[in-house]
Amino acid sequence: MRQKANLPISWILLIAGLMLLPLFIPSSYVLGVMCFIAIYGVLAIGMGLLLEHAGLFSLAHPSWFGLGAYVAGILAARGIVPPWMGIILGAVVVAFISGVIGAPLLRLRGYYLACATFAVLLIVEITLGQLGSITGGHEGLMGIPPLSIGGFVLKTDVHYYFFSWALCLGCLWFLSNLMDSRIGRAIKSFHNSELASKNMGVNIPKLKLEVFVLTAVMASLAGSILCFYLRFTMPSIFGFPLLVEVLTMVVIGGGKTLYGPLLGSFVTVWLRELIHMYLKGILPVMRAEVDAIFFGMLIIVILIFMPGGLAGGIDQLFSLGRKVFARDLDT
Amino acid sequence: MTILSQVIQYTISGITSGSIYAIIGICWSLVYLITRVLNFATGEFVMLGGMLTWGFHKAGVGVPVAIMLAITFTVVVALIMERVAIRPVRHHSEMTFMLITIASASVIKGIVLLKWGSETRTIKPFFSTEVINVLGAAITSQVLCVIGLLAIVTIGLSLFLNRTIFGKALRASAINLTAARLVGIDINKFRLFCFGLAGGLGAITGIVITPITFTGYEIGLLAGLKGLVAAIVGGWTMIGTVLAAFAIGLLEGFGAGFISAGLKDVFALLVMILFLIFRTTSLSTWLKKESL
Repeated sequence: MRQKANLPISWILLIAGLMLLPLFIPSSYVLGVMCFIAIYGVLAIGMGLLLEHAGLFSLAHPSWFGLGAYVAGILAARGIVPPWMGIILGAVVVAFISGVIGAPLLRLRGYYLACATFAVLLIVEITLGQLGSITGGHEGLMGIPPLSIGGFVLKTDVHYYFFSWALCLGCLWFLSNLMDSRIGRAIKSFHNSELASKNMGVNIPKLKLEVFVLTAVMASLAGSILCFYLRFTMPSIFGFPLLVEVLTMVVIGGGKTLYGPLLGSFVTVWLRELIHMYLKGILPVMRAEVDAIFFGMLIIVILIFMPGGLAGGIDQLFSLGRKVFARDLDT
Repeated sequence: MTILSQVIQYTISGITSGSIYAIIGICWSLVYLITRVLNFATGEFVMLGGMLTWGFHKAGVGVPVAIMLAITFTVVVALIMERVAIRPVRHHSEMTFMLITIASASVIKGIVLLKWGSETRTIKPFFSTEVINVLGAAITSQVLCVIGLLAIVTIGLSLFLNRTIFGKALRASAINLTAARLVGIDINKFRLFCFGLAGGLGAITGIVITPITFTGYEIGLLAGLKGLVAAIVGGWTMIGTVLAAFAIGLLEGFGAGFISAGLKDVFALLVMILFLIFRTTSLSTWLKKESL
């Protein structure tokens, strides 16, 4: 409960900082990178919630991200529905598919759940590449129009900056409220002991499915915004390299807190930009797989030396500070 | 091509890929049963074997020496991975191990991409390039090599596990780790040994399949996963894995021939998902629901 009193201040600071950023740094490069941070942040927050809070080791989230992007992109590129409608339809389709796939798969535990969802990830990637007539195949889907909402067209990086951060903070706020509610406590309880929480009357399969679908829908929303921002999608964007990247975000940030993965997304995306900026001359090829070398090493180092991630480190620092501060008051 | 020769051709390609998946599946189970680590870098060992042989050969070393060097190198990589990335982990949870092996796989893959680029590579077949005709279907000598390798691996491993004291100790620690430790078995040494063995077997597989399927930095993921499918469906036993691998290979061969070559990789993954689903909702629970 102590955390709750701190929350509004940090939220106000965060929002004010984000609002002021375009005034001080109007460069479209920085804003573009910040867009990516928000979009990947949504995906990472969802996966962090599943991994660390619910204990469901699902690796399929990059494919919900990709499916959201593809459904919205195809519908908008063919002019079937306006782009904003495409985002919603994408979320509906992903909710349906993830529900149908999740219902039987979420009975699995540990390694087996991970293997099955890993298979889902690869199946989605291969199928998107093979359905060339609908998805544009391996070369990718072109001709996606910019996002427009009620006559207002989002054209510049600033527009997407505000839009993606609004989505990201909205998701974070929603989830932090959710985790403080009865449902959130139930989720945490079945992670600790399924037997105990079952005896307390928690409907575990239903709850697992709900969390799974909720985070899948969040991923799909983020994915469809990404496709309108890039105005291009490609099956290989949503494959194994993205999975490694999102896992890096969750591990760096630390999944025990909700904001951890967002912090991880900030670090990871900027790290990628730095690699691209400074190592361009040294490395012969620049590909997502090359970034994955650095991300992979980071995952290993952090899991061995700092299992709590950055957010865990910050929390430790705060509790240490609180202890020191309290001792000063006593004397 | 008559339908008969087509069927024979698909059967041959199915058995070939089945043998490959069987050996890879055995690599997964060797590591999983002793260390309880699902090593997602298994496929990368396969890739490393092929790529390193090609790389050493290109650098001017003869093929037999290049093969020896490649196997040694892959074993060293596997040992380093166990020692540096897996043993120091303090929180022994399935999730941590899995994250670490996925991360190691992506590191190995990325470094190979950096070193040798994204083109597919191949080496010459070991024996003649002649084609043997069987009822209109073609068999190359390399296919026989793959099947022979599977026979050697399975027979050799079962002799080793059942007849030597070291192998028996290995089996004992797979059955009960704590009890094995109590009777004085050095588990850390065994973990290292299993990783090295899996690395070596993976590398040999990678080398033998390179003349048939070609190799490239990205083959590890799918080849490895199909081996995992075989291991899971086979229930982590050697015979089960081999049988499951043949089933998957045949399914893939016929699926690629009669349905779609592009969706070939999807079949094996679907088998895994379906198997896992139906294994949990076992027949007995269904029967109970019926009677209610």
